[in-house]
Amino acid sequence: MLQAWRKYEQNAVTLLLLLPAFAAFFGLFAYPILITLIQSFRPEGQTDGFTFENYVNFLSDPRGRDVIVLTFVLAIGATFFSLLFSIPLALILREKVRGDRFFRLLVLVPMMVPGLIGALGLLLFFGSRGWFNLAAQALPFVQEPLTINYTIHGLILFYVWLYFPYTALTTLSALEGLDRAVEEAGAVAGANPRQVFRFLIVPQIIPGILAGSVLTFMTAFGAFSIPLITGGNYRPLSVQIYKEISSFIPAHWSAASAMAIVMGILQVAALSAYMRLLRQRQAR
Amino acid sequence: MKGNRWLFAIALCVLFATMFVACAAPTPPPAQIVKETVVVQQTVAVPQTVAVPVPQTVIVQAPTKAPEPTTAPKPAITEIVMADGQSGANFQEYFQKTAIPSIKAATGINVKYIVTTDAEQFEKMKAWKPGAGDMHLYFAKNMAAAVSSGVPWEVLDTTKVPNLAKDDPVDLKSAAGVDLKGAGAAFWKSSYALVYNSAKVSKPPVSWKEWYDRRAEFKGHIGLIRPDAKSSAAWRQRMMFLHAFVGDKLALPIDQLQNDPVFKDAWAKLIDFTSYAKMPLASEPVNLFEDFNAGDSWISLYAQDYTMWSARQGTMPPTMKAVYPTEGADIVEASYMAVPANIPDEYKAAAFKVLNYLLSDDSQMRLVSTMFQYPATNVDPNLIPAIVWENIPKMDVLKKTAMPRELQRQDLINYIAAHAAELTPK
Repeated sequence: MLQAWRKYEQNAVTLLLLLPAFAAFFGLFAYPILITLIQSFRPEGQTDGFTFENYVNFLSDPRGRDVIVLTFVLAIGATFFSLLFSIPLALILREKVRGDRFFRLLVLVPMMVPGLIGALGLLLFFGSRGWFNLAAQALPFVQEPLTINYTIHGLILFYVWLYFPYTALTTLSALEGLDRAVEEAGAVAGANPRQVFRFLIVPQIIPGILAGSVLTFMTAFGAFSIPLITGGNYRPLSVQIYKEISSFIPAHWSAASAMAIVMGILQVAALSAYMRLLRQRQAR
Repeated sequence: MKGNRWLFAIALCVLFATMFVACAAPTPPPAQIVKETVVVQQTVAVPQTVAVPVPQTVIVQAPTKAPEPTTAPKPAITEIVMADGQSGANFQEYFQKTAIPSIKAATGINVKYIVTTDAEQFEKMKAWKPGAGDMHLYFAKNMAAAVSSGVPWEVLDTTKVPNLAKDDPVDLKSAAGVDLKGAGAAFWKSSYALVYNSAKVSKPPVSWKEWYDRRAEFKGHIGLIRPDAKSSAAWRQRMMFLHAFVGDKLALPIDQLQNDPVFKDAWAKLIDFTSYAKMPLASEPVNLFEDFNAGDSWISLYAQDYTMWSARQGTMPPTMKAVYPTEGADIVEASYMAVPANIPDEYKAAAFKVLNYLLSDDSQMRLVSTMFQYPATNVDPNLIPAIVWENIPKMDVLKKTAMPRELQRQDLINYIAAHAAELTPK
């Protein structure tokens, strides 16, 4: 009897301790999702009713499809170039070069600067009269200011600036966790530096690179401030959702909700495909 | 286990998307209380106006209080709170650095200035307590919303605020088509103007039609904000253009309007005119400003006060000037000050004193000479330094060219936003 009571008491305490987490889950997670989902099926401007119109309108519109493609292009481009930039950077930082701590801090700057401020800074820096173009025009082969702002390549460049710390930090962390003795053993066994990197280092840091690339992809997919300010006519999903809310009076909440749900589904689908691909590669 | 992972991933991503929508909703930011530290050295004499009765068209609201037993007089209030849910960076700075010190010097009352939002302030005012807000600044549309918000507002008249007699009775009567019931005192008049960089444009067009005809001259340098931007310039620029070519027909119901040949022609002209703009179109005002700074944009239609203030701040070229196209630059709208009726009498007395100063010639002259914002009162333009009129047109010019208020239509604003793609050349 006493044992049963103790067990009951233990369960009750556990339940009580879990209550805040449950409340937070339902309040901050389940409820908003549910509201958005319901809103996405409401006829625009109405508080009841059911329609697929918001989804049909968005997905059947060629501009809607263009927006989805653009969102993917930007996210994939940002992830790819972030990796391309981060891996060599991590390899350099790992060597504890002079000023190593300063450079590590510098890597964190894009994460510390608010997105909107960063976007404005980049806009000014790469503007036709910005420092970048002032420096570039000092070169003999650059006659006209280079157009970076409001272009697709400029947008990817800005994304990389904002999101590369994810890939850089996870790669660096993976690199620093490696046992140097393995590389030394490889070298003693006759492997040249390229072979050591290709066959010993890369396989071991792959999990770090993957973690960083997933983070970069997900955040770039939902990027807002950078494309809003520096995107010009290139407006990915997040900006289109914002437009539905900010341009119309009253706001188009149903259309925005449908786009948000589409965005969420695409993110899950892309992430799942990516993870599956990686698992297959790892299994081989 | 595999299914759980899927569920978790789906839930996580939908959460991100949901949070984005939730975050995009206009949620009120926390109020910032800015304590004034500037001390004014120059005291300005305030001309006291003789009380002139202003015809009150509507008698209000404020719940009548039961007579209270006579008690010792309460000490005069020396500090009140002004709540501002409207101003941009320019007027936030103006209130803190210019208006509040001059109020203190003229009335002895210190004004605590808080930046807030309408929704938050309406709720606060329903259960007023010291510090919540003793006077409020509203744009015309927001003043209209304030009147129907359920907050009781004091009926203002010249016995309480003598300088109210200087306000235009038309402004006192209604805002955004809503009867103000005497609740608002017009504080300033804002306007959009054809703003241009005089270093690039020596002879600005004086009408929309001239601007359209000379569009080739400005090719690639006309500053337009995207028609789907959040800034009201997104629709103002287009609406003013359409008004110039459509005229009073703009008042037609939207279904009829969009099929009208005159409107169709004006719309085609607008599309054509847009193709001469600086590309890509500015996403938000900050991009427009940067385009002007870079020398890419030379001419635009934008808020006159903000443009001229920005030029002074160095965020726009110092050579910016303003002119009004003859067919209409904008609807001239007043912004209002209002005093809640449910605040204690001693706070009301202080608020009236401050309001009276804000409507004085001295305060109104500061508005136009410091901020290029037109006075809402009948202050003599000759009192204003001549240099001001070298940069902006005189008020009577604006009045002559103003687009009629009733033509500012919500359905046309939405029509412009819905057809944004047509007006956004790639």
